[in-house]
Amino acid sequence: MCITPTNRRSFIKKMAATAAMTAAATMFPGIVFAIEQEANLPSGNDLDWKKGPCRFCGVGCGILVGVDKGKAVAVKGDPNSSVNKGLLCVKGYHQTMCIQAKDRLTHALVKKNGSYVRTPINEALDIVANKMKETIEKHGKDSVAMYTSGQSTIPEGYVASKLMKGAIGTNNLDCNARLCMASAVTGFLTTFGADEPMGCYEDIDYADYFITWGNNMAEMHPVLFSRMLEEKNRRGAKIIDFATRTTRSSSASDKSILFEPQTDLAVANAICHEIINKGWVNKSFVEKHCNFSKGLTNIGYGLEDKFKFTDKPEKIDFEAYKKFLEDYTPEKVAKYSGVSVKDIKYLATIYGDPNKKVVSYWCMGMNQHTRGTWINNLVYNIHLLTGKISQPGNGPFSLTGQPSACGTAREVGTFTHKLPKGVVTNEKHRRLAAKIWKVPYGRIPAKPTYHATEMFRAVDRGDIKFIWTQVTNPLVSLPKTSRYRPAMEKDSCFVVVSDVFPTPTSDVADVILPASWHIEKSGLYGNSERRTQHWDKMVEGPGETTPDAWMTIEVAKRMGFGDLFPYSEENHVEEIYNEYRQFHEGAKHGMAPLDVLKKQSGVIWPYVDGKSTQWRFNAKYDPACSNGEDFHFYGKPDGKAVIWQRPFEPAPEAPDDEYPFWLNTGRVIEHWHTGSMTRRIPVLHKAMPSAYVEFHPEDAKMLSIGNGEKIKVTSRRGSCILPASINERGLPTQGQVFVPFFDENMMINDVTLDAFCPISKEPDYKKCAVRVEKA
Amino acid sequence: MKRLVIISLFIILFISFIVVWNHSYQTGLEEAYIPIERNDPSSIIPSETGVFKRSEHALDYSNMPIDETHSRTLKEYYKNRAYPGAPPSIPHPTDELNLGGNKCLKCHENGGYTEKYEAYAPVTPHPEMTNCRQCHVAQNTETLFVQTRYENVEAPLTGVNNALLGSPPVIPHQIQMRENCLACHAGPSAPKEIRVTHPERINCRQCHVPKNGETTEIGIFKR
Repeated sequence: MCITPTNRRSFIKKMAATAAMTAAATMFPGIVFAIEQEANLPSGNDLDWKKGPCRFCGVGCGILVGVDKGKAVAVKGDPNSSVNKGLLCVKGYHQTMCIQAKDRLTHALVKKNGSYVRTPINEALDIVANKMKETIEKHGKDSVAMYTSGQSTIPEGYVASKLMKGAIGTNNLDCNARLCMASAVTGFLTTFGADEPMGCYEDIDYADYFITWGNNMAEMHPVLFSRMLEEKNRRGAKIIDFATRTTRSSSASDKSILFEPQTDLAVANAICHEIINKGWVNKSFVEKHCNFSKGLTNIGYGLEDKFKFTDKPEKIDFEAYKKFLEDYTPEKVAKYSGVSVKDIKYLATIYGDPNKKVVSYWCMGMNQHTRGTWINNLVYNIHLLTGKISQPGNGPFSLTGQPSACGTAREVGTFTHKLPKGVVTNEKHRRLAAKIWKVPYGRIPAKPTYHATEMFRAVDRGDIKFIWTQVTNPLVSLPKTSRYRPAMEKDSCFVVVSDVFPTPTSDVADVILPASWHIEKSGLYGNSERRTQHWDKMVEGPGETTPDAWMTIEVAKRMGFGDLFPYSEENHVEEIYNEYRQFHEGAKHGMAPLDVLKKQSGVIWPYVDGKSTQWRFNAKYDPACSNGEDFHFYGKPDGKAVIWQRPFEPAPEAPDDEYPFWLNTGRVIEHWHTGSMTRRIPVLHKAMPSAYVEFHPEDAKMLSIGNGEKIKVTSRRGSCILPASINERGLPTQGQVFVPFFDENMMINDVTLDAFCPISKEPDYKKCAVRVEKA
Repeated sequence: MKRLVIISLFIILFISFIVVWNHSYQTGLEEAYIPIERNDPSSIIPSETGVFKRSEHALDYSNMPIDETHSRTLKEYYKNRAYPGAPPSIPHPTDELNLGGNKCLKCHENGGYTEKYEAYAPVTPHPEMTNCRQCHVAQNTETLFVQTRYENVEAPLTGVNNALLGSPPVIPHQIQMRENCLACHAGPSAPKEIRVTHPERINCRQCHVPKNGETTEIGIFKR
């Protein structure tokens, strides 16, 4: 017998241990000693730690999932990820616990005579494919639709786009990122001509000031907020919270400035006025790198069906822009914004001081806004006028809500107007997509069809006869669900819902497909800072659960598009990603190859010559800059960013005598979106068991409402009964109430308004008028 | 003549001062940032940040009388966590709006006896992180939204972690974010089973090494 050195070593070790044991046992009877060590060490020590991105928000923390005997039993932050450096939030630490929920969808369910019948997955996919085909034959291509998600993986979004736009030939594909990031996209495109932030999270390490615009980062982007707090404690960086509600973020900030809902437009213009007035404009930067433009005004709110709007940009000069700003002196704006002249000037001083580095952060406060594109433009104006952009520690940074709103929705383009590269209205982009997809060029329609809200209006009208939702729960998350729930219940539309758990959306489905959860499949996500992250399947899913991408492929095959979807079940993620990468080749958007992504905790694109580009448009860091200057905004044909003249316009519905309160909605740290996952995690549900309606203490006193009392919140669209919360999590301004939207038992979106930004078509969940009374 | 030279010299100096000052001001306007140092974040060995934190209290710890009646047990310690290594939840009512820096650290930075709960406040191993409720949440209800099949893994046992008779036990648990041993292993709030007998020694990892799967697995060492 051959004894290897290892065997020999362990043999000697065992001998020694046994000897010691025996000796010890004679001395101290009854005491167990060293030899049992290995056996006695708990199984937790042999956990297999597998790397991936977190399932929840757009920060995109790296996680390590501890797998023991095929089960996920622990989660910790990935210390190698430069995003979170080992830290997570409470959702992140407990995320894997949801997959063990007892009501997990494990098999396909098909509605027969009003009740759901468990059906083999292959049969269910046959039904979906047949129904889709039949609907197209009977009612045309534009009668079928797919509604996906900013939580879909890159391959899932890619095959959905390929199926709808390339194979079937309809632009009836939109996603829930329309409800969260569309205004950010149109903001980027109108100002820079290229989507997604120019900076990265490393900005936090260099900035002197963090100004958050309507953004409760302590709860919504907690890990980034912790990084900011660390810089605050370490080197005195300052956090300034500019919001309509006092939150956890406000209480941890150096200064909290409150404003009246919608007036952020005016305050941003006032800051620009002050910067110009005081001569703080970075003239050489503006001359070399900026243009001035104006667009249409009085652009409407999209409240009516089939609303159409196209902006008409018009170039103006600096003098005209300066003249326009005369309406926005700090004194005039202070009158209606609720922000004092001193505070407006204070903000302007921070942005205007050339020796202070400033990062602006925002998320849903600015995006879910009937003038969302405008307010995005206006904050870019501030950074462009002062030249504080695309440099470490200096820049505007649009945070993302969902884990792959950037990676999937925006980069793969699961919007009606988008293609993986560019837009459907552009012939060059259509030709490129047709070439890579190997479909006839004429098949990809040139006209966008339905954006999210309009898609569900079309379901209501009966124009859409088949809809397939994946990785999203629209009947909790859409605005004005009081209209869209009955719409989806109508017999005129066949509803297919792919999900992991039963939700109010799957309740109205004709077919429910059981999806694999996050770690039960392989995939790729792209976070807020352009970081693409890959993970491999970590555990087996229960029953017949199947990855969403594979279900889409199976349906495509059944519809006769097998030749366009030649992927293998084991390896489809890799094959799809390699195909998708071709769209973004080049210095402006090159994506890292998969083997690099497998090794590292995410890679920022553009990935050029083996290097990430951390600050785009800055020649020092970005190899795509080619104009010989320090900065090059290459998204625009002339290489210049646009400073937009955008006025203040009021919200579509403001408090009046009948409905005297503003209603603001949002999230809480414990729950992710509609709560379908986080409410199934015991720790999180126990921490935040139900939604609530938050009052300012003065308002509560006036209405003699006590904490926990049941309150009915009513708008012109619907009502919702919730317990009152006074002086707890947050403090809305007087005349405003706040309600989190995670609770499917208290559907606040029955109350919200489906008005949207006419440019981005993103609804405003932050402002509508309600009345409150004791229920 | 001499006076003229001196005056013109001063004028030249003054002009050059204005030029230099203006120039540096202008460049400051355009590039107000510091160069970036890159560092490789990858770690092969477990983190040592904060290993010596709280060492200034070591002597106090060793001189402290042990209050057996109010000590926690290890079972209680783990009961408050979803799995070994999960952030513990908050078992007492809190004021919602205030962040850690303001409130939590008053009791949890250094611990101490709390009459109200008849217990010693546990000491946080990472007081520098002040967004406490990013990870720690209260438990406001006992019921669940949906029943779960989740089963907790077994926590590491005590008393079985030394390789040889009398040799120092290894560290059987994850230490990420808990590198500061004394926070949990010393003082009156430490669970009795894991309270160290010699807190004054400070340099814990001189003798106790991790065996917790946290390091990169390199397989069997070969020469």
